[in-house]
Amino acid sequence: MPRWAASTVRGFHGAYLRVDLDRGECERRPLPAETLRRYLGGVGLGSYLLYREAPPGVDPLAPEAPLVFAFSPLVGTSLTTSAKFAVVAKSPLTGFLCDALSSSHFAIEGKRMGVDALVFVGRCAVPSEWIAGELRPSANWGRSAAQTEAALRPEGWVAAIGVAGENGVRYATISNEGRHAGRGGLGAVMGAKRLKAVVVRGDRNTTVARPERVTALARALAKRAAGPATAKYRELGTAGNLLAFDRVAALPTRNFRGDRFAAAEALSAEELAPRHGRSRASCASCAIGCEHRYALNGEAPIRVEYENVFALGPLLEIGDPAAVLRASQRCDELGLDTISAGGTLAFAMECVERGLLDKGPRFGDAEAVLYYLEETAHRRGLGDRLAEGSRRLAQQLGSGALAFAAQVKGLELPGYEPRALQTMALGFAVGTRGADHNRSGAYELDFSERVDRLHGSRAAAALAIEPEDRAALLDSLILCKFLRGALEDLYADAAELLQAVTGWDVSADELRAVARRVVALRKAFNIQEGWTPEDDTLPARFLDEALPAGPVEGTRLPRARLRAMIDAYYEARGWCPDGRLPDAVREDLGLDPDTGEMG
Amino acid sequence: MISRSGILLCGGRSSRMGRPKAWLPWGNHPMVAHVVEILGSCVDEVVVVASESLDLPPLDARVVRDREPDLGPLAGIAVGLGACRGTRAFVTATDAPFLTPRFIEAMFERCGPGGAAAPSTRGIVQPLAAVYPARGAARAQRLVREGRRRPLELLKALDFRAVPLDELPDPDALRGFNTPAEYLEAVAEAFGPATATLELLGRARRQFGQPALEVPVGSLASVLGCVAPDLAVCEGGRVHPAYLVSLGGRDFVRDARIPIGPGERVVVFDASVGG
Repeated sequence: MPRWAASTVRGFHGAYLRVDLDRGECERRPLPAETLRRYLGGVGLGSYLLYREAPPGVDPLAPEAPLVFAFSPLVGTSLTTSAKFAVVAKSPLTGFLCDALSSSHFAIEGKRMGVDALVFVGRCAVPSEWIAGELRPSANWGRSAAQTEAALRPEGWVAAIGVAGENGVRYATISNEGRHAGRGGLGAVMGAKRLKAVVVRGDRNTTVARPERVTALARALAKRAAGPATAKYRELGTAGNLLAFDRVAALPTRNFRGDRFAAAEALSAEELAPRHGRSRASCASCAIGCEHRYALNGEAPIRVEYENVFALGPLLEIGDPAAVLRASQRCDELGLDTISAGGTLAFAMECVERGLLDKGPRFGDAEAVLYYLEETAHRRGLGDRLAEGSRRLAQQLGSGALAFAAQVKGLELPGYEPRALQTMALGFAVGTRGADHNRSGAYELDFSERVDRLHGSRAAAALAIEPEDRAALLDSLILCKFLRGALEDLYADAAELLQAVTGWDVSADELRAVARRVVALRKAFNIQEGWTPEDDTLPARFLDEALPAGPVEGTRLPRARLRAMIDAYYEARGWCPDGRLPDAVREDLGLDPDTGEMG
Repeated sequence: MISRSGILLCGGRSSRMGRPKAWLPWGNHPMVAHVVEILGSCVDEVVVVASESLDLPPLDARVVRDREPDLGPLAGIAVGLGACRGTRAFVTATDAPFLTPRFIEAMFERCGPGGAAAPSTRGIVQPLAAVYPARGAARAQRLVREGRRRPLELLKALDFRAVPLDELPDPDALRGFNTPAEYLEAVAEAFGPATATLELLGRARRQFGQPALEVPVGSLASVLGCVAPDLAVCEGGRVHPAYLVSLGGRDFVRDARIPIGPGERVVVFDASVGG
């Protein structure tokens, strides 16, 4: 690795490393201060680099498709929850931009390599590992990400793919330290490059503009992070959502045909904790500690998140906690996104019920779930088709199967029933990543008095911009979203943090503009890759079928209502009526009016 | 051939009650279902007139939507009469749990030559426990267009017969309620001591050490007070921002003055749900 002069921008290195896997060469390319200020880091910077580096229309699994690991200005400081990074690429599942976050030491050490991002292009001649600038043939191909990480840990901090990534499963993950850049198949992009692992190691710390101020802010933030606003995450973890979602008929079951689950109590954090030896873990530099692990029969603890339990439990009609936790654990070992794995299996189960598939998994069959997870990761038999995700499988099957494939733009829905959370339904429909609860966050409105969750409206649609923008800023700083309740005014607080770290005279209003810019940039990338207004919608099931018996029986989300909400969302964003970006927004992004290229 | 219709108006804002009257529990049903059942026992069809935004439980009735609910009960009657298939219709509001088939029968039997009748108490006419002819729909619509809001004007235009309450059976049939206290008083009279279920999820359950408890019906504040001081779910007449409270898994509520009825399920969980 070449040495270079220190950056003039505090909190950043002012450069990214472009790694050409074809040639095994690294090139350090500058990142101007203006660019860093416009996009910060994380998903903002990662999206910028993807837009710059990706040839328009590139096949996500082609060698030329870039894979970006983006760090951020706050990484490496003592600010709680700042040890995060974003992985950004064109998704093989959706064909659009995908950004996924992961966290912990990989983020800190990656930035210590002296760059703000790593961009991998090309394809290794043989399965390989990139170890702090050096490309080596992989001795870990065929092993799990965790096994690979253990083997390579003496070399540095490791992000690796599992068997699913190697085999190009379109919802394969990239894993590090038990965390996962989970959604959208970024592991398949890495696998297509024959890149088993990325190992980071460095000694180049960035400096901050006002160290004492950063320390004081970090102390205050840590105190808030340990307060009541994050208590749910500490005491129950995200699995604490399950019972609440069940009670308000927002817990999808049986491939989104039901909204409550008879065995919800058994799968809930409230019940799991006292029965299955709970332990907690946290990412590096985190005062929250949201990760809850449960040990089955004295075995090694298994990480439990709401989405894992939802997707491998109620969605598949499996109520045995041991079966759900084992399936979740197997997904992690194989390198499968639990939400898409569960969503695709649920779709396949309904196809079996309807006779569209001759054989395959059935609702409630936990053994079949484990079997087909394995088959999927290895692309064997039906697993080869399941590895394509629910949308492609539905397209292959025809016969109207797309109507009940619960996905948006190809990304399977997380555990939020859109008919019972209609502002979230809009968030799913317009999400640039697809059906996504981490980029929209519109559910926050549904769980409030500000909107009527069962009657989506134009007013609610306009409000949905708030949580989406907040997420874009948090994911670019990067700070954990679980802090959001502890921040009184995100934009003002973030401006204060950035002032102390970078020395910029950045204001809350400027950061609002950054957030909007990041959202627009992701949209611009999708438009370049062929997005049309028809992509912003929900599957027919959600628009044609009413919710079944229960607290919100008969609730519908009529097409006209969703259409009105989408129109209102575009309008509130200042976008064109068809969802495209007007010239003023494109100019702000620095896009050439003729070629769409970024200047 | 349908002769008698029943029209149930669900258009009110229930502003003093703080929650839709249609969903207030009565026996084992929401109020609207209870009144539909009474109507259904003595008419050929039941039509429920409700605003677009009001969800209703499954009902053995035809639901028509009043697109201009802010125009008052006369507009609702116009919608109902326009939709009903009978020649005459008994019209009632939602908050009429003491209505009886005998009372409705008696009203139908006492119609004047214009086909309309309304009970009268000391000279005060009760137009929301009255019979109207279906042909009155056009007249009702015209009155609404002219800016009239009072159903009594329609009754007068239809040459109605005012029936003294002491000529009618079950005079309690006219009893309604507008405030939480009136509702809870009616509940107490009808059912005696009654309970609701308070369910605790998440941190609330961990802190209180119990998943659910049966509590006396009352205001939401009194229901939530059953877990105080261990849990301060209610503060200053409002639900504390750290919590979300759902009624029966349907509506989220913050106003702790609203009434909680018999058999109702109040669910308390963390406001930071999701993520």
